[in-house]
Amino acid sequence: MGNEATARAAIEAGVQGVFSYPGTPSTEISEIFSTLSSFDINSVDRTLHPQYVPYPVYFEYSVNEKVALEKAIAFSIGHKSALCCMKNVGMNVASDALMTVAYQKIYAPLVIIVCDDPGCHSSSNEQDSRHWGRMASVPLFNPAHPEDAYQMAKEAFLLSAEIQLPVIVRLTTRVSHTRSTVGYNGIQLNQNPGAFKRAPVQINIPARNADAHQQLVDKVHSEKFQRYFWNNNSLTSSSSSNLYGVISSGVSAVYLEEVLSRFKLQQRVATLKLGLIFPFPEKDVLLFLKQGFKYVLILEELEPVIEHQVRSVAQKNNLNLKIMGKGFSNLERTGEYSISIVTQVISDFMSLSLKEIKKPLQGLNGLVSNLPQRPPTLCVGCPHRATYYVLKLVIPRTDEGPLLCGDIGCIGLGALPPLKMLDTVNHMGMSIPMAQGLSEAIDHQHPNGVIAIVGDGTFFHSGIPALLNAVYTKANITVIIFDNRTIAMTGGQDHPGSAKHQGTHNVEIEGLVRGVGVESVSTVDPFNVKQMFSTLKEVISHQGVSVVVAQSPCIKIDSPLLPDRSQMKVVVDHNHCSTCFHHVDKTHPCSQLCTPSSGLARARAKIAADIHLPAKHQSCPANICNHGFFNSILAGDYSTSLAIIRDNLLFARTCGDICHRPCEGDGINKVPVKQLKKYVSSIDDNFNDFTTLDKRINEARRQHHSVAIIGAGPAGLSAAYDLLLQGFSVTLYEKEHSAGGLLKFAIPDFRMDKGGYETEIQFLANHGVTFNFGHALGSEITLDGLLTDYGAVILAIGLGRSLLLDQVEKALPRHQKYSAVDFLRQYNLGLIDLRAGSTLIIIGGGNSAIDAARTAKRIDQNNRVILSCLESREAMPAFDQEIAEALEEGVELITESEVNNIEAGDDQNFSLTLKNTLTGKTITTLKGHYLITAIGQSGDPESLTGNHGIVLDKEGRLPGDPSSELSYDHPSGNRAGALFVAGDIASGNHMSLIGAIGSGKKAAIGVRRALQGYQYEYEADGPLQALNSRHSHGVDSSHALMWEEQSPDQWSGDISRFDLYQPCERCNHCIDNFGCPSLVKVNGKVQIDQGSCTACGFCIDVCPNNAIKWAEATADISPVALS
Amino acid sequence: MSRDIKVMVTGVGGQGVIYLVDLLVSAATRSGIRVSTSEVHGLSQRGGSVNAGVTFGENTFGFVDQGEADYLIGLEFLEAQRHLSYLHSLSYAVIDNTRILPFSVSSEASTYPDTPELLAFLEEQIARVILIEDQLEEVNPLHRHLFVLGKATTLEGFPLTSHAIEKAIEEITRPALQEQNITLFRQGCGTDAGIKRHRAQGGQGDQTARSIV
Repeated sequence: MGNEATARAAIEAGVQGVFSYPGTPSTEISEIFSTLSSFDINSVDRTLHPQYVPYPVYFEYSVNEKVALEKAIAFSIGHKSALCCMKNVGMNVASDALMTVAYQKIYAPLVIIVCDDPGCHSSSNEQDSRHWGRMASVPLFNPAHPEDAYQMAKEAFLLSAEIQLPVIVRLTTRVSHTRSTVGYNGIQLNQNPGAFKRAPVQINIPARNADAHQQLVDKVHSEKFQRYFWNNNSLTSSSSSNLYGVISSGVSAVYLEEVLSRFKLQQRVATLKLGLIFPFPEKDVLLFLKQGFKYVLILEELEPVIEHQVRSVAQKNNLNLKIMGKGFSNLERTGEYSISIVTQVISDFMSLSLKEIKKPLQGLNGLVSNLPQRPPTLCVGCPHRATYYVLKLVIPRTDEGPLLCGDIGCIGLGALPPLKMLDTVNHMGMSIPMAQGLSEAIDHQHPNGVIAIVGDGTFFHSGIPALLNAVYTKANITVIIFDNRTIAMTGGQDHPGSAKHQGTHNVEIEGLVRGVGVESVSTVDPFNVKQMFSTLKEVISHQGVSVVVAQSPCIKIDSPLLPDRSQMKVVVDHNHCSTCFHHVDKTHPCSQLCTPSSGLARARAKIAADIHLPAKHQSCPANICNHGFFNSILAGDYSTSLAIIRDNLLFARTCGDICHRPCEGDGINKVPVKQLKKYVSSIDDNFNDFTTLDKRINEARRQHHSVAIIGAGPAGLSAAYDLLLQGFSVTLYEKEHSAGGLLKFAIPDFRMDKGGYETEIQFLANHGVTFNFGHALGSEITLDGLLTDYGAVILAIGLGRSLLLDQVEKALPRHQKYSAVDFLRQYNLGLIDLRAGSTLIIIGGGNSAIDAARTAKRIDQNNRVILSCLESREAMPAFDQEIAEALEEGVELITESEVNNIEAGDDQNFSLTLKNTLTGKTITTLKGHYLITAIGQSGDPESLTGNHGIVLDKEGRLPGDPSSELSYDHPSGNRAGALFVAGDIASGNHMSLIGAIGSGKKAAIGVRRALQGYQYEYEADGPLQALNSRHSHGVDSSHALMWEEQSPDQWSGDISRFDLYQPCERCNHCIDNFGCPSLVKVNGKVQIDQGSCTACGFCIDVCPNNAIKWAEATADISPVALS
Repeated sequence: MSRDIKVMVTGVGGQGVIYLVDLLVSAATRSGIRVSTSEVHGLSQRGGSVNAGVTFGENTFGFVDQGEADYLIGLEFLEAQRHLSYLHSLSYAVIDNTRILPFSVSSEASTYPDTPELLAFLEEQIARVILIEDQLEEVNPLHRHLFVLGKATTLEGFPLTSHAIEKAIEEITRPALQEQNITLFRQGCGTDAGIKRHRAQGGQGDQTARSIV
């Protein structure tokens, strides 16, 4: 390899000290010396390892190129020969030293190897380092191939010794990384002792610099160079023609040679290949040009360095030649040349049509265009990926999020997908100054500040002065030092923080950072997710300079700091990976998008939340996927969140208002689903956007059967909604003159948005659900008729009749008494006209009683409202929160009481005596003006009279399972349509809104099973049944109230306390946001490639589904079997 | 060897492209054949695409340009396909159907190319193609390089003998891996049945190929 040949040459030339900074394509030169310096010379079998030197060579990876060159200069001044190597851009860092050293005197040879990278295979630019020769007046060799590199590096040592100037050998990638057979020679034993003689020439002061410059100019015009020109420039002449001459240098000369040989043109072209190009061999070039060519071609990659010199020689000597260089044919100033480029150029130059003998393939395009790219990526097990991932959890990657100023090295790969965690990457060391400058320039637009991301190697190389500057100028930036204890990108070389060679000292970054004056510094292991998360969160809000050292050794380096992971492996439980636990029916509509940002929100909750709840603990009787609903909100996607509600439930806003939230249980440390539902459905733009549903209905497969639903309350409407989405045509019959049911009358306006409810109902009408109002069962319509006309009928007629107390009915006149339902209904219709400051007594302990009581108080604050109920406070059927609110509003409550006696007074009032339900003792006698009976509702037996075989129970109900067909006798004797029952009338107990909806949905499932052959049961039957078994829910009102008061923006902050977890079928988070190459999605499930996995285990923390787990290394676990 | 021969080796960082190149150099040198190589290091080692040119003969210098490769040794299917333009009508190709999915494929943002399509194309357009679909038990799927090289030696006119390559394996391989590597190589050459393997049934590459990273 060219690099190895160069190193061998230096060894043969007797180099005593090597100073370098690693950088592709130069790295292998330094690596050889690094190996040598740690090599036990006495134990080497030299026949096997001829490259090893029989005497010690001092070697170091210096902190940067400037220090490397300065130390090499000092070595040379101290009479020991030195080599300094670096990549192209390294010379920019070292140039300060280079520009002045030529004015001074060096004693032992000093050779600088610089490796350029035309084509930018691994560099931030493709600068042409040949300019440095002229710029610094330092001789420069430009070898064309490994043999040249060997030869010229040796010559460089000789030349340097002879003229006492540093000498540059400039390679390019194609020379450094080309291998061919190179013969080598013996090693010159060099044990020169070091020495220093004081001399004025070692003091570089302005007074003598002008003279020194003149001496330097004289030096580079010295005749001593002639021998080196002859040794390193080579000439071929043409025998058959004298038309064409080609001057080339570097790898272009190789391409030229191959092309001339392939097309047998050697005899027709004369060539001059230049090796030592500064000082420019003017005489040799002139001699070449004077052979009488008509055309001269210059072949050199990148800049026209030689071309300009040749033109200058020709012009000075009045040569009549046509010189072709940059701009001729395919000759560009950018990128690499190649055999095919040179073939084309020679064709054009000699007006030939050079045709390849080998026939290219035809019709390739379709096969090679649009192939998936394979960009480089961070390694499996890389700690940088872990740090980037946690940073991604901490900061929003939005326009408002912090700017991320990156640097070069492995961390630069963080800019690529899937991490995409950098906004700027410039040259080496620019991250920290970039962050300072941007912070200063646009800080006010970026309240979250600017973050610099820099690797450990680069931090030592050029980050320290930049950090010092930040402290000194009181910058407001965060610096994250990705410390993997090595210079990783180039293969794991040493830096001051990773010193492993003997005689080197390890520098701790944290101490150094503190020393520079940074007060906020923490060192964190990136694999400790929680600690990294909280540290990053804290420092980003810190004012001033803060530094986080994310420290974990590079996975590619054999570090004793790496934990032993041989005993464990990481496996994916496919039962939890990309699986939906919510829907048994996988065709069930699901609006969950699972975008990278929603995946990130779920994963953030896993790390950041302090309350972790399985979503099944907060499940909804109406089958809403609370997991998807909540996590969409976490991701800030409110429209998806609403869509997820509407996958199952039309009445999002109504439920947001009045659902008694059984999913929240006792409400303590539970996700405040109801309030969030209220919020997402209160965003009008989302609420009024039904386009997804429109589409879904339009695309639904039309069903042959039509369905009749009797009763347009929440149960009937919900059944209608689900059936509509399934493509059924649905007709609703309602005895009232509008839809909405008791709810609309019984719930006071202050508790729900009636307009929103109307909009929701209107949606059904707009999509073809037929509403027949004023059609009461038993009069306008009969069950017999419907069952004959429709494929299925759902009875959702509710409990329209209020239960009354005989005592009250007997004692009081009409205008002094109400049933609760009537009272609320008349109130809602604006028909209530109470005397000012009256006393109202309400009998009953359910929600209707409480609603009536609160309404009475709202009508007039001066009304005295007394509520008497049979139960204790705890046992009251009304929702606890409602009771609490009523009490707060001034309603008086007399529990465990019943009416003993009631006496009518005058036309305006009455007196009521209450006794204790247990002891029978009189509690009190009250004077009242109005009495409201709220002891319950019953069905209307008359409505079903005459319907065959259907008998209501004594409370006027038809207890039954909504999804089971009700049997009946059809007059014709044949079985006609299927009959189902839903809503209050079906329930043996008190029904809530969400219960009514759930029961309507369940009846719709019954219809689908009967008519469509649908095979699944109602998915949310568990939570629906649980409603019936519970009488009272005791919701913690203080908790709920807390949410009521807050604006949505504050919510997003507060709900980050919660992690409502459950696997999701659409999850792609680990691949979207983490992207470890060992994670591969195959057939919709993630697999871990055990061949490449390093068992770092970080993905276990990444997976929001808890599907990735540890297993014993020896365990034979197929992904699916694990659970 | 009477003519210059150019070989292109392609694969993914970590598959051993450079190791194969080392072997070819060593084997050629020991056979008295002039050999040169050209490769690019750097970012390609971070799981990126890697290719290297190996040229044999007096007037070549390691550089293989488009349409010039007489042999393609493809350690990974997609990378082999990516370098198709280096082949010509008389080329030979040996391609391992190992599929290393790049991120865009594992995230299902793009699709991995179709095996039968490429195979049909090459069968029509070049001298000969061998698609390797053997499942090698107890062989790290990332280190099938010697098996593939073994297959390459069976191609007409391949410039190196299997004997020379075996000697080269002995020379440059860590002692602990030598025996295993030689067995794997011989397996590829078809001269050793030491490694358990079975021919993929059905031959539909897409179903039987190993998906690894």
